Amino acid sequence: MLEKYAQFVGEDEIDAIVKLAQRLEDLSILHVNSTAAGGGVAEILNRLIPLMRELGLRADWKVIRGDQEFFTVTKTFHNALQGTTSAVPEHYYSIYEKWQEINANELDLDYDVVFIHDPQPAGLVKYRKKGLWIWRCHIDLSTPDPHVWSYLRRYVSQYNLAIFHIPDFARDDLDIPQLLIPPSIDPLSPKNMELPQTAVERIVRKFDVDPERPLLLQVSRFDRAKDPLGVVEAYRLAKRHVPDLQLVYLGSPAHDDPEGEAVYNETLKAAGGDRDIHLLMLPPDSHVEVNAFQRAATVVMQKSIREGFGLTVSEALWKRKPVVGGRAGGIKIQVIHGVTGFLVTSPKTAAHYTTYLIREKRVREEMGNAGREHVRRNFLITHQLRRYLMAIAYAAKRHRV
Amino acid sequence: MGLGAKALDTRGRGIPFKFYTAYYISLYSKMRARTLRQLLQGIEAADANTLFHHLFHTIRSKHLIPPRYTNDFAHWVGEEVGDEELAAALSDISGAEPATIEDIRKELVAVLEPHADDRAGKSEFVFVAMEPVVVETSYVAHTLADFLDLVEMVPGESIVYHFVTRRVLEGTGRNDFSIWLEKNFGLSEVAEALSRIDPLMYNSEESLRGDILKTLKRYLL
Repeated sequence: MLEKYAQFVGEDEIDAIVKLAQRLEDLSILHVNSTAAGGGVAEILNRLIPLMRELGLRADWKVIRGDQEFFTVTKTFHNALQGTTSAVPEHYYSIYEKWQEINANELDLDYDVVFIHDPQPAGLVKYRKKGLWIWRCHIDLSTPDPHVWSYLRRYVSQYNLAIFHIPDFARDDLDIPQLLIPPSIDPLSPKNMELPQTAVERIVRKFDVDPERPLLLQVSRFDRAKDPLGVVEAYRLAKRHVPDLQLVYLGSPAHDDPEGEAVYNETLKAAGGDRDIHLLMLPPDSHVEVNAFQRAATVVMQKSIREGFGLTVSEALWKRKPVVGGRAGGIKIQVIHGVTGFLVTSPKTAAHYTTYLIREKRVREEMGNAGREHVRRNFLITHQLRRYLMAIAYAAKRHRV
Repeated sequence: MGLGAKALDTRGRGIPFKFYTAYYISLYSKMRARTLRQLLQGIEAADANTLFHHLFHTIRSKHLIPPRYTNDFAHWVGEEVGDEELAAALSDISGAEPATIEDIRKELVAVLEPHADDRAGKSEFVFVAMEPVVVETSYVAHTLADFLDLVEMVPGESIVYHFVTRRVLEGTGRNDFSIWLEKNFGLSEVAEALSRIDPLMYNSEESLRGDILKTLKRYLL
C-alpha cells in the first residue's frame, strides 16, 4: 500500500519513512480516540494504522467506551475548549473521571508509545504504568474556557509531549514540548481520487447544477463558524459582475450539532429563493459527490471565521482549485495569499477575489497548480505518517543518527 | 579550468561522501510578536533553532510560485505589517559562509532596530523552533563523478542538510561539500567557490541545487 503513494511523494520520501520506522521497530505503539467511525480523526487513523503495520511496527488502535451522559460531557468540554459554550456543571467532571477509570480498567494501555487523541480520553494518563505518552490535540485551543482548560491541563501536563495542528493553538501555560503537525488528506481515498470528467458532470447535473457555468463552492457544515451567510453575501456581490455564477454550499447533517438545522434555515432564508444557490445537505458518506463538486468548481471558498484546520481546503487545492479562504486557524497555512489562493476577512474581499479568479483563467490555473504542489509537499497522509514517526523518534530521543 | 571528465573517476584519499537527509520537527517556542517592536525582541531572544527555522524555512517550502521574500521575518513584515521597504531589506540580508546564526541575528537586528515601532501585523508572528531528524539515504559518492551525478539526483532535503543545516545549525562552520572536496581531493578552489554561494538568497531547494551543480561543473568538467 505504501508503495502506491510513491507516485505522489517520490521514492525517496517512502525510503525515508521506511528508515525512520526501522529505528522504532522495537517499540509498541497505541492510538486511542473516542470513535471508530465518523470525523477526521477516525478517518486518518483508519489509514495510518495499516500503514504503520505495513512498516513492521506493532501499532494498535483502541476506542474508549462511554454512555450518552459521558459524550454529552465531552461534547460540552469540546465546545468550551473551542470557546463556544458557557458554564459547565460541576458534576460533569466526576462523570468524565468515572469513564476514564472504567476505560483504564478495560483497555490494555501497556505500550511503549501511546497517542491519546483529543480531550475525550486525555484523562487516561492518570493510569499510565509505562511508556511515552503523547497528547494529540485536533481542536482549536487558542481561546478555551479557562475553567475547563485548567482542569484538562492538569492531565495534559502529565504527557511527555503534545501535538497541535498549528502554532496558534499551542499553549504558553504548558511546560511539555509542543510539536506542530498538520493533519492530512489521503490522495487515494474516494474523496480525493481521480474521477473521470464524465462522472464529475453526471454527478453535478444530478443536483441541477450546470457544469458549463462558473461555480463557486463551499464544502462545510452549516455552522456559524463557517460563515454561510457571508458566503451567500460574497456570492451576491460577485454575481453582479458574473451574472451566470452559481453557488453550491455542500454540507452534511451532524448528530452532535444541534445548531446545524437552525443555521441551514438561516442560510436558506438568506438565499431568498435564488435558483442559482444550491444548499445541499448530503449524507456524511457522500465522498464521491464531494470529490465531484470540488472538481467541477471554478473557485472554492472556505470563508470560515473560526477554523480548526479546514481539510476541505487541502482537498480543493489537491484538485487544482484556488481557494478563497477566511484568515482563520489552519486555513492560513494552506492558502498562501496570492500563491495558492487568497485570504479574506469580509464578504467584500471574498467577492473581489472570487470575481478576479473567475475572470483570470490563467491565474486560476497557475494558482491551482501551485496549490496542488503545496498539498503534495505538505499535507498528504505520508507526511503525517512521517511526522508521527518523527514525533516518536523525538520523544524516544532517537531523532539523531 | 575544469579537471576534465577523465579525471573524475579518482577516489582521492578514499573517504566516501555519504548523503544524509533531514526532516524537521516544528516546536512551539512560546514567543509571539504582534508588533515590529515585539518582532525585534523575539529575534533578539530566540534560540538558534528558532532563528534557523524562520530564516531557512523558505528554501524548503518548494512552491511553484516562489515567495517574494526569502525568510519568514521579511514575509511577515511585508505581507502582514505592509512595510515593503523594510521587508525587502530583511529579505536581502547575507548568510554566506562564514556567517553563523549569531552573525545573521546581528544583521537582522541592525536592519530592524531603527524601524521597530508599534505597527502591528494583521495576525501574530508565532516563533517556531525546529529540530532536525536526520535520516541516512542510500546514496554514497566514492568518486567526483559519483558526486556530480548524486548532487543532481539526491532529494532536495539532502542538499539543504549538507549545504546549510550542518554548517549553520550543527556548527561545522563550512558546508559538507566544500569540506569533502578539500579534504578528500585537495580541491580548494571549487570548495571556495561553493562557500561563496549564499543559501539565504534562495527560496527553493532546486534553485540552490542548480547553482551548486553549475559551480561544480565549472570547476570539474
